Amino acid sequence: MRHFRIPRNYYGYFFIAPFIIAFLIFGLYPVYNTIYLSFTDATLMTAKVNFIGLKNFERLFADNFFVTAVKNTWLIWILNFIPQLGIAMLISFWFTDLRLKIKGVGVWRALFFLPNLLMPAAVASLFFSLFSYFGPANQILVRLGFLPAAIEYLQNETITRGLVVFIQWWMWFGQTIIILMAGMTSIPVTLYEAAMVDGASAIQMFRRITLPLLKPIMVYIFVTSLIGGMQMFDIPYLLTDGRGSPSSSILTNNILMYMKFSSSKGHIGAASSVGVLIFIMTCVCSLAIFYLLRDKDK
Amino acid sequence: MTRYKFNTYVMRFFVYLLLVLILLVSIAPIWILVVNATRSTVEIQQGVGFLPSTHLIENYNILVSKGINLVRGFSNSLILSVSMTLVTVYFSLLTAYGIVVYDFPGKKLFYNMILVLVMIPMQLSIIGFYQYMSKLGLTDSYAALILPCIASAGSVFFAKQYLESVLIHELIDAARIDGCSELGIFHRVMLPIASPGAFTMGIFAFVASWNNFFNPFILISSMEKYTLPMLVQTLRGDVYRTEYGSIYLGLAITIVPIIIIYALFSRYIVNGIAMGAMKE
Repeated sequence: MRHFRIPRNYYGYFFIAPFIIAFLIFGLYPVYNTIYLSFTDATLMTAKVNFIGLKNFERLFADNFFVTAVKNTWLIWILNFIPQLGIAMLISFWFTDLRLKIKGVGVWRALFFLPNLLMPAAVASLFFSLFSYFGPANQILVRLGFLPAAIEYLQNETITRGLVVFIQWWMWFGQTIIILMAGMTSIPVTLYEAAMVDGASAIQMFRRITLPLLKPIMVYIFVTSLIGGMQMFDIPYLLTDGRGSPSSSILTNNILMYMKFSSSKGHIGAASSVGVLIFIMTCVCSLAIFYLLRDKDK
Repeated sequence: MTRYKFNTYVMRFFVYLLLVLILLVSIAPIWILVVNATRSTVEIQQGVGFLPSTHLIENYNILVSKGINLVRGFSNSLILSVSMTLVTVYFSLLTAYGIVVYDFPGKKLFYNMILVLVMIPMQLSIIGFYQYMSKLGLTDSYAALILPCIASAGSVFFAKQYLESVLIHELIDAARIDGCSELGIFHRVMLPIASPGAFTMGIFAFVASWNNFFNPFILISSMEKYTLPMLVQTLRGDVYRTEYGSIYLGLAITIVPIIIIYALFSRYIVNGIAMGAMKE
């Protein structure tokens, strides 16, 4: 019997075949479909689909809700990201500082990371209950005298936004700590020792050794946080009424997309255009970050 | 005591103080959740307590009588998450194995493509995906959620890093000499060696799919198929729903399984995150 000998290395194709097939069916085609839909006026109700070019996009830019959604998403992400990075950096620094010798770093880290694993849907519902009119937040603050009377937290725009920012921070700073520490511990100790011999202070060592060597990790954190932040849905959706109340203060990109999708006619054409715009925005910003933070010396 | 030592002690004191404060802020919501799940509605309305009470069973009965079928939501989530995890881990390892062990034309291109894929935000695909699934008649089915897991770029990326550091090519050659088929080598040589990493990947995949709200929310429409995050929407204590105790219990039930998994496997999870970030 004659066997056709496949060169050994070509077996790789068999192994990656399921991925490629599944990707083409479930990954690539939907993306193509979304982009295609964004140029149409398709709805879930009608079978007839018209190609309307850039109309969806024009309407979006003129739409107040869209501008609000983008503004909110960015605002909430920035307000969450800066303290998150700052505090995580500070804590990571302390945890890896040889002088301070903090005990139980593993335990602290594990505890700080715990909120990351919680179901965002449940967390949003939890905070809704905690900050409802008869909830624990009012109970504590009024009885301890910090507040004269109970207030409706979730009807105040600033407080609601602040809650979303806090929840996002709470859920992600632990992960940032883990990643930062992984980066910090991979910096050779000898660099710090040499610097100490040369008389460098702690702050100098941080600025000249730690930060530059952490740059790749920081880019990673920056970009993944940005991509995640632009997709924020669960928390703002479930904290209030799913429309970004109060007065659209926590209306985010994805909520807008969902609203168009789930509206009575199911405007998937418009929803797709939201998705495409968010993608372009995310892409441009990610590339900008890569470019700005690239290694300038070769 | 030298000046240096004193400064260090003072620093340590402040550091520990701050850590404890952050920890309290971090844990407080979870703590209140668990405690309130055991208190009766009356107790909750009277004030905040930090110690558990004894009304757990009572709250559970109220919860069940409200018609929120948490048990079915729980089992739905379990079935879905386990399936998605198995599919993700198996096929990601399969694909990563193909990249690591074989040197075929177009390999680099393929791998770079995967890196790019990781960056595609889901907004670009979800609407098109939904319409496509509705044309295929696959909406409101778990298949639409499970099958795409075969092509999970992020997991392939992680698996490739991991396999590169763990595979011993001589072992594979030895298996070939002994007459094992390529696929057989994958199953009998690679899988056992890679099980810690596979386990880590599995935990991440499980947690991600357990907590995932958006995708099932878009795709699933019949109540019997609702996953836990979707049911959680109904569990919100406000002026209109006043069985606070049972609400907190319902929320706790959705969160506690993950906390238990985490308590058991935190080492894997924490190491996995570090590994995923350090690719240089």
